[in-house]
Amino acid sequence: MRRFSLLISAVIGFLAAGAGIASAHPHVWVSVKSELVYAPDGTLTAIKHHWTFDEMFSTFATQGLDANNDGKLSREELQSLAEVNVTSLKEFGYFTHVKADGKRVPIIDPKDYWLDFQNGSLTLNFTLPLKEPAAGKVFAVEVYDATYFVDFTLAKDNPVTLASAPAACKLNTFAPGETKPTSAQPLDESFFNSLGPGANFGAQFANKILVNCP
Amino acid sequence: MTPFRKAYPIRCLRSAATVAAVVLLAVAAMHVLAVSAHAQGSPFGAGPRPSAPPMGGMVGWILERQAYYYAQFNATIKAAKADGSAVWTLLVLSFFYGIFHAAGPGHGKAVISSYLVANNETWRRGVVLSFASALVQAVTAIAVVGVAAVLLGATAKAMGDTVRWIEVASYLLIIALGARLLWTKGRGFFAALGAQPFTPALVPAEVAAGGGHAIAGDRHQHDHAHHDRAHEGHALAVSEAHGRSHAHHDQAHHHHHHVHDENCGCAHGPDPEILAGRGGWRRGLSAVIGVGLRPCSGAILVLVFAMAQGLFWAGVVSTLVMGLGTAITVTAIATLAVSAKDVAARLAATRSGGGALVMRGLEVAAAALVLCFGVLLLLGYVSTERLIM
Repeated sequence: MRRFSLLISAVIGFLAAGAGIASAHPHVWVSVKSELVYAPDGTLTAIKHHWTFDEMFSTFATQGLDANNDGKLSREELQSLAEVNVTSLKEFGYFTHVKADGKRVPIIDPKDYWLDFQNGSLTLNFTLPLKEPAAGKVFAVEVYDATYFVDFTLAKDNPVTLASAPAACKLNTFAPGETKPTSAQPLDESFFNSLGPGANFGAQFANKILVNCP
Repeated sequence: MTPFRKAYPIRCLRSAATVAAVVLLAVAAMHVLAVSAHAQGSPFGAGPRPSAPPMGGMVGWILERQAYYYAQFNATIKAAKADGSAVWTLLVLSFFYGIFHAAGPGHGKAVISSYLVANNETWRRGVVLSFASALVQAVTAIAVVGVAAVLLGATAKAMGDTVRWIEVASYLLIIALGARLLWTKGRGFFAALGAQPFTPALVPAEVAAGGGHAIAGDRHQHDHAHHDRAHEGHALAVSEAHGRSHAHHDQAHHHHHHVHDENCGCAHGPDPEILAGRGGWRRGLSAVIGVGLRPCSGAILVLVFAMAQGLFWAGVVSTLVMGLGTAITVTAIATLAVSAKDVAARLAATRSGGGALVMRGLEVAAAALVLCFGVLLLLGYVSTERLIM
């Protein structure tokens, strides 16, 4: 009888497990280019993102948007989609996590957003302003989707640029799961210490951008 | 008359309690797992919506394979544009994607398997239902993209909205199916419970089992004539009246099913055709449509991309081959569910009345699961990949 109960439990448990856990594999690939925007006083004010989607998703998302049927997708034709994109991204915190000296910096709703369609791929351009300009020695910006539904990857060449940053600032980028910088600029111990104990340095899929301004 | 015999009904109750506990746990687990995914739309407002975080182990591996095949679609479809032979690669990819996609967690096979257990379906029907639902799923994806995108030039948003409505319809269908099963099986369960001797320690097992007729008859004096006729028919072991009473009177059906097991020691119950009931195929059809109606978002993306490359037909064949892969996996899982239930039924048949009671309980639990899946899916608690805009 014990075996019987076990068997029944196994069947029911099995059936239930199937529905509860949702599937997660990337359906959307995004190549990330970002710009960190500084104010003249050396504070960080905004992140400008340029996200390029894979062709399959780009094709799907732009289906039926060529209003004048000229075979091209103009910025105007794509504006409604850009609007939907940024509105939907809000719920996901724009997949962007900003920290100054290890402390979380809040971001606010994006401005100046638009889509470009080139070589079969869509690029979403948008500016994420920080709620308050952030001062600090170390800025960390992470771009990732913890559910791994969207696969974010830093673009191959010059994925990150600094706009109007103080001259002494050093930029390093890390691919997901990497602890060594993809771009080699020396980092000292104090740099990592300054990230703070709560620094989510190990987020599995995070693309990390670190800027050290002594 | 052995001590084992005497103790049996208590153990039996314990099993029933185990079933109930497992069901509760399962529902609670689904709830917890689903919370993280709840209320999240699609991140870009276009395209499939995200769900739970990735996992290690077996599930992680399945997801990894799925991602691997999916990632190849883009390049393969583009290659097929220039070189027709790449279509073969596309079909191979589609087949394996289908197999792994269905092996990954999803509600389809859970509903089908629960349905098979609840409705006491045969393996053969399980296979047919699995293939039919996979075919319906592929055809829905082709129809949505074919009509919306190819003919109407609809936007991704319009397609997403269409899929949304289709989903609601399919979830409502699953709820209706679950409610229907729960009603039928629940009545059967309580009927079996009513026929169960409650003072077994005082009554020798043989008498308790053999006396089932009398007890049942006494307790249900309101039962109409063919119930009684069925009793007689039953005594003769085989009879037309027996079969008819199953179809006519669920309560009677379950009494007899239960007594039948004990008296003639059949593997389990009467002819499966009768057990599945006359509405069997119709109910089966609602399971097939309920599960199959919701198109797979991967298939929709592939179809739209293939269409944009001027290879819509390749997308159609790819979607059908994905369906074939899906059907194979769902069949394997349905086989597991049906075999497990058959083993349980065989074990139950060697016991006295309580075994049959547990089997009825199992059916009720499975029916409740179908209903739960439907409700949770409709409320968005169990996340699915979907194309919302």
